[in-house]
Order: sequence, then C-alpha cells, then structure tokens
Amino acid sequence: MKTLIAIVVAALAAPLSAQWLNYPTPGVPKAANGQPNLSAPVPKTADGKPDFSGIWRVERGRVADGPPCLTRGCQELRTGDQWLDFGAGLSGGLPYQPWAADAKKQRMDQEGKDDPTSWCLPLGVPRLLVSPELMKIVQTPGLMVILNERNAGFRQVFTDGRPLPEDPQPTWNGYSTAKWEGDTLVVQTNGLRDGIWLDRYGSPITDSAKVTERFRRTNYGSLEIGVTVDDPKAYTKPWTAKVTERIVLNTELMDYICAENEKDMKTHMVGK
Amino acid sequence: MKSIFVAIIAISAPLGAQWLNYPTPGVPKAANGKPNLSAPAPKTADGKPDFSGMWQAFRGVMNTNRPCPTGECDELRDTDHWLNYGAGMPGGLPYQPWAAAKLKQREADLGKDDPTSYCLPLGTPRDLVAPGFKKIVHTPGLMVLMNERNASFRQIFIDGRPLPEDPQPSWSGYSTAKWEGDTLVVQTNGLRDDMWLDRSGSPLTDAAKVTERFRRPNYGHLEIEVSIDDPKAYTKPWTATKITENIRLNTEMLDDNCVEGERDMKHMVGK
Repeated sequence: MKTLIAIVVAALAAPLSAQWLNYPTPGVPKAANGQPNLSAPVPKTADGKPDFSGIWRVERGRVADGPPCLTRGCQELRTGDQWLDFGAGLSGGLPYQPWAADAKKQRMDQEGKDDPTSWCLPLGVPRLLVSPELMKIVQTPGLMVILNERNAGFRQVFTDGRPLPEDPQPTWNGYSTAKWEGDTLVVQTNGLRDGIWLDRYGSPITDSAKVTERFRRTNYGSLEIGVTVDDPKAYTKPWTAKVTERIVLNTELMDYICAENEKDMKTHMVGK
Repeated sequence: MKSIFVAIIAISAPLGAQWLNYPTPGVPKAANGKPNLSAPAPKTADGKPDFSGMWQAFRGVMNTNRPCPTGECDELRDTDHWLNYGAGMPGGLPYQPWAAAKLKQREADLGKDDPTSYCLPLGTPRDLVAPGFKKIVHTPGLMVLMNERNASFRQIFIDGRPLPEDPQPSWSGYSTAKWEGDTLVVQTNGLRDDMWLDRSGSPLTDAAKVTERFRRPNYGHLEIEVSIDDPKAYTKPWTATKITENIRLNTEMLDDNCVEGERDMKHMVGK
C-alpha cells in the first residue's frame, strides 16, 4: 500500500525548479482591479475563429462524491476526477462490455500496476486531455498542436480539410482531423492502438474506437471539451464525457521525462 | 557488430498499414510538374522566412570512423553529425582531457550508455541530426520543433523574452531566438549535465550555451549552424560544419515510442 502511494507521488511530482519560469503571458485581459479577467471574451484567430492557443490544465478539485482513490494519498494530489475514471459524473458510469468491466475490476484490484503510463508509455487519446500536468495548445491555420509536459509529448490535429486515413498505422495518438461547426472545433480520431487505458481505473479503449472531441473556448479562461467515445468492442453504446480545462498564466511547460532515473518498474510495481 | 544490430532495431520505423500520403499544400512546381526545391523560401505574414515544414537531416556517406559493412547499415545512412558532431572539422572537437577520455571509453563500450539507448531524450542540439523526421511549426511568437523520436517537442520562443538566468536543467534547455536579417539565431541555456551530443559520446555539460543559426536558403532546404560554448567539456567554443535538412513532402510524422515493446536494454553490455 505504502509502496504504491510512494510510486504515485514520485510519478506525479514535478521537478523542483532552480528558478520558477515566470515570464508574463502577453495579452491577458484585465479586470478593473488589475487582475486577469478570466471571463473576458475569447481571443480570435485572423480568420475569426476562436483561438485555443494557451497553456491549460484540466480542472482539479476532487469533489467529496468523486470517484474514490485507488489508495490513500490522492486527495492531496488533486488529480481530475476523469484521470481516475473517465466516466466520473456520468450516471451509471461507462457502459462497459462484460469483458471490459472484468478488465477494469481486475486492473483496480491490481492497483493499476499495468497502466501503460506506469511504464512510461504515452497517455494516448483522449487521456492526454485529463493528465494532471500542464498542456499547451498551439493553433495555426491548418494545424493544431497539443503539447503535454509528460514525456514532452506532442499530438497533431489537422485542420486543413484532409480526410481521415482509412487504415492508418495504429498509434497511441491515432490520426486526428477537425472541422469547425460554428465556434466549436470538432476533432475526429481513428487509428488508435489496442490496449490503451482511458484512465487510472483501467477503462479500456480498443483499436475499433472512434473518438470525437468537441473543443469550445467558453471565455478567456476556460476550455470545454466534449469527448465522445464510440468503441463497440469495449462499450455497449457510444458515450460522452465533458472535460473542463482552465487557463494557466505567467509560466511555462517543464518537460517531465518519465524514463529519467526510473527506479520503480523492476521492483515496486507488483500490485497487491 | 552487435551494436550495429541494436542500432538497426532502435532506428527502424514501424511499417504502416497504410502509408500516410496526403499531399503537402503549396509546393512550388517546376515546368515539368515536379516540386521545385530551389524555389524561394516561403515567407510569414511579417516577411520573415517561414521554417514550417517536415524536415530530415541530410544523410551523407557513413562516417569513416565507424566502418559499416556493405549492405547492412548503408541503408540507414545516418548523418555524419549523428555519429560525431565534429564531423568534417579539422582535428575534430576540442575536447577537454576528461572529455576525450570519456569519448574513448564510450567508443570502447560501443556506446552502450548512450541515453537514447535507454529511451531518454535526444536533447539540444542532437535533436537536429536524429535520423527520423522532424516538423517545424513556426508561429509569430513561438517555433515548435517536433521529433518523431518519442513523439517529443521542443519550444523556441521568438517573442523577445530573455533567457532565464537559472532555469531548471532539462534535456531541451530553454531556447529564445531573434532575427538577424533572414537568419533566426536561437540561444539555449539550462541544459542538464552529461548529455551525449552524438553516438560517439561527445559530452555536453550544464555549463553549455548552444547557439543555432537557422536559415532557409530555398524551398527545399534548411541550413543550421550549431555553435557550442561549453568550457567544462571543450577547450574553446566551436562551430560544427553546416547541418543541412531536406524538406519531406506528401507524408506525415509517425510516432516512434522507444519504450514500446522495448527488449534491448538488457542486451546492451558493450564488448
């Protein structure tokens, strides 16, 4: 028990900085009192679309009725509920196929020791949206890039009108294309590899998954992403979760390289 | 010999179910309809050269200091700089005595302790010469370098901010840039200690300041001049021979996650 808590803390702890990166974010709207006005209107790109560019962090704050931690210790970490259970807040939870419900139960019983992220593998789509570290969106006319502190990883979302490939090489991030519906960017992803974990509980996602993410910046300070997973191999029907991200100002991403000085895998990850 | 085998596994790209072949938009064409790689470099809205695109370091002849059996590693055709950043420099890199000794020992060990052999990051400026594809996303205030290896990124700030004085040391460091005419001059500090600059094991320490001068002389090429000032590892600052990157058209990056299905580490024993 202690071992696992220690591992989780070690895995999530950010490196202590010699100097905190505090260069001021340019163009922040200010309220009358000089504080950032997070409810100010959304910035726009040159072609009049909402600009999602910025540093974001998934909303934390585990509510009392949120999903229980696998172990003690995660209250202080304050991961988002969806990091633990992507179905958090959905009535009845995720509609698992029987084998998927069994897999999740077994994974929880094993304290999540086979979670790919415990082995320094990528977060994958859409789990990278709810990882507790900072993420940055760089939006350009034909391409949106999502940068994650974890393993200094990137993901591309093509917004240049190209179609999804029919049979792409399966990967953790898959292949993502997007189009606008009004002020919402609708991102579709296929080509995900088998064996991705959606969350710490071990909700599975398979290579039959199609993921739709509807990005909407509701004001300067908030990004809402409606995530729909259509994965008939793992779930009895398509389901939709809503992820909220908050802007993070006056700092920068710090690379977190999981494999650096890694000491946990061989000895400590044993489950119960 | 064994080390060559390991290198092949580490570098080989996954085979695709369907090759990604979406056509690159806006490619200038010659009279015969082929891409005109010597056409002028594209410009950004503010008239600066636009470095955006997918690039691959020029793969030349195999470096003579690591002989390569015909028919085996010819096809890999690493860049000379990947093998040794001092390639083509008369006398090679000006190693401090401890650094020269380290290099010798690492070569004797067949590079078994190369951080990239353990799936650690390439770091700056080794990321420029890795054999895979890289992509540059060039925006008004920020240039992002994305590398297929570990699907990893590096940021270069071009919004006028200063370098931090004492940043948290990292593999990529902290990079800011300013324009000198059509050349983007990138300066990096905050590198972690004991990085490997190349497969030979040329060291880079936390005292290093790295300057990279990016130029796009025409549509098809990027030229980067890398200067290293690292008094802990080198007796004087040095500038590597010019790195040339070729544009890559009509395809896309494929993530190469080193730790995925990793089976090699336990075999890396040196000679």
